[in-house]
Amino acid sequence: METIKFLESGKLILEKWIERSQTTEENRLDIWISTANLKPAVQSLVEIRWGYLITITGLDIPPVRDQDNNELQPGQLEALYHFANDADIITIRVKVPYSKPQIDSICEIIPSATIYEREVIELFGFDLLNTPNTEKLILPDSWPEGVYPLRKSFTNLQDLVTSNKEQSND
Amino acid sequence: MTEAKKEKFIVPIGPQHPALKEPGNFEFTVDGEIVTDATVRLGFVHRGIEKACETRNYTQDMYLLERVCGICSHVHATAFVLGVEKLAGVQAPPRAEAIRVLAAELERIHSHLLWFGVAAHEAGFDTLFMYTWRDREVVMDILETLSGSRVHYSVNILGGVKIDIDQKLSDLIKKDMDFLEERTEHYMKVVTTDETFLGRTRGIGTLSRDRAKLLGAVGPTARASGVKRDVRVNAPYSGYKEFPVKMVIDQTGDLEARFVVRLKELYESYRLIREILEKIQPGEISTRIKRKIPEGEVISRVEAPRGELFYFIKSNGTEMPDRVKVRTPSLCNWGTITDVAVGHKLADMPMLLAGIDPCFSCNDRMVEIRSDSQPSQMMNWDGLRKYGIEYYK
Repeated sequence: METIKFLESGKLILEKWIERSQTTEENRLDIWISTANLKPAVQSLVEIRWGYLITITGLDIPPVRDQDNNELQPGQLEALYHFANDADIITIRVKVPYSKPQIDSICEIIPSATIYEREVIELFGFDLLNTPNTEKLILPDSWPEGVYPLRKSFTNLQDLVTSNKEQSND
Repeated sequence: MTEAKKEKFIVPIGPQHPALKEPGNFEFTVDGEIVTDATVRLGFVHRGIEKACETRNYTQDMYLLERVCGICSHVHATAFVLGVEKLAGVQAPPRAEAIRVLAAELERIHSHLLWFGVAAHEAGFDTLFMYTWRDREVVMDILETLSGSRVHYSVNILGGVKIDIDQKLSDLIKKDMDFLEERTEHYMKVVTTDETFLGRTRGIGTLSRDRAKLLGAVGPTARASGVKRDVRVNAPYSGYKEFPVKMVIDQTGDLEARFVVRLKELYESYRLIREILEKIQPGEISTRIKRKIPEGEVISRVEAPRGELFYFIKSNGTEMPDRVKVRTPSLCNWGTITDVAVGHKLADMPMLLAGIDPCFSCNDRMVEIRSDSQPSQMMNWDGLRKYGIEYYK
């Protein structure tokens, strides 16, 4: 009973921004919205005190290529903002292309999101606009710029390990 | 303004962490004795497990994820296994679910006792530390008898569990629970009446209910501030549907409340374990599951000893997951530290940090003390701990 109530109240408040929605489990609602609407959507959930932000999950959707290696669909990144209210989970999802991976930071609304934002910046290469802190959280300080380990294209650490060793020699 | 700024010190603590045996780095900016800012730097034991999961099959991943943490290994495997089972449309038999809960509660007991010892040590109360760790051996022995291993018990398999309990083991566990309950009574008395100890905990690090909610605190840290967050109760999973638990809540929100909440949770664990041993039904302990998991995405949440553990698993229809995202409870609770630390004395920091029961390999971190404009004053964790004890002498 309560499950339905919570999910519906969440859906109602977010309705005007929803581009597509999906319910894969009875206690879950996934909604896709445009990046421009992310901040107002999060704001409205926080305003009605709809649960709390569990985390931000990053997903890499590598480019689709045909046999001749022509790009049919450019590579994309997807950020999933999971909000939980008791057993219910609303996931706000935004997709951005590799070429312009910009999303507004939500730290103004939820200050504790900074740690999750730093994580997706480092591991996926998102560009969080106006995020308060972009210092390295997990990766070593010597990690090369522009290498994002959780993208599918990243498979090998060998070269990085060697170059780090050379650095430490001097 | 500039002059006032010059007097501020940044005190870096870590990454070598003699007290916690794990690496983490914090920087506290201090104005005299009072902390004015705090930051955290993680990643010293980052092992890239999420990436590694993408190149291993589901069974291998289960064992790999169990190694995210050496304290709460079972809950990691449980969260993953429950998610994968949901994707595959497989339900583990009731006896298996009950054994999962049994192992989870035994793990909670060992984890809480371990934390209790560490916290006592940070307060300079080493006798208490020795006693709790001695008592913790009782539950470690049970886990070893149960599974053959003290740390990574690997109770789970995809589709069930691989260990079973018999009457002899059941009697042994019940006897040990009685012993531990008696000991916990004693600890409760110490925590709530010992004046030296209360000097370090009562009214310190108070986190209001609203702050805790806003900062996304989870587990005992949140419950000590009156936030009703316990996945076992909010969204019962596995055997908790059949064997419900009572949520332990305290409204005070200070360090003492965090001690009391964890100790009360121990009572609840003892009760639950007895109930499971009484009521567990005979039957199968595992069911078959296909190697290839159907395409889909699943969210799996379980209550680890430190709070809500979150898994997001995406399957692409092969034997290997497309993405596994792990959000451990310690990560959420760091936010509360950087918030609560401000305005407290530097001497309170070790206890505040210990208060959230930080688990480093879960998130991976350290503490560092550094000077801004003047020569660096390094202080390691041990130094800070001693400083705290001396301060309160």
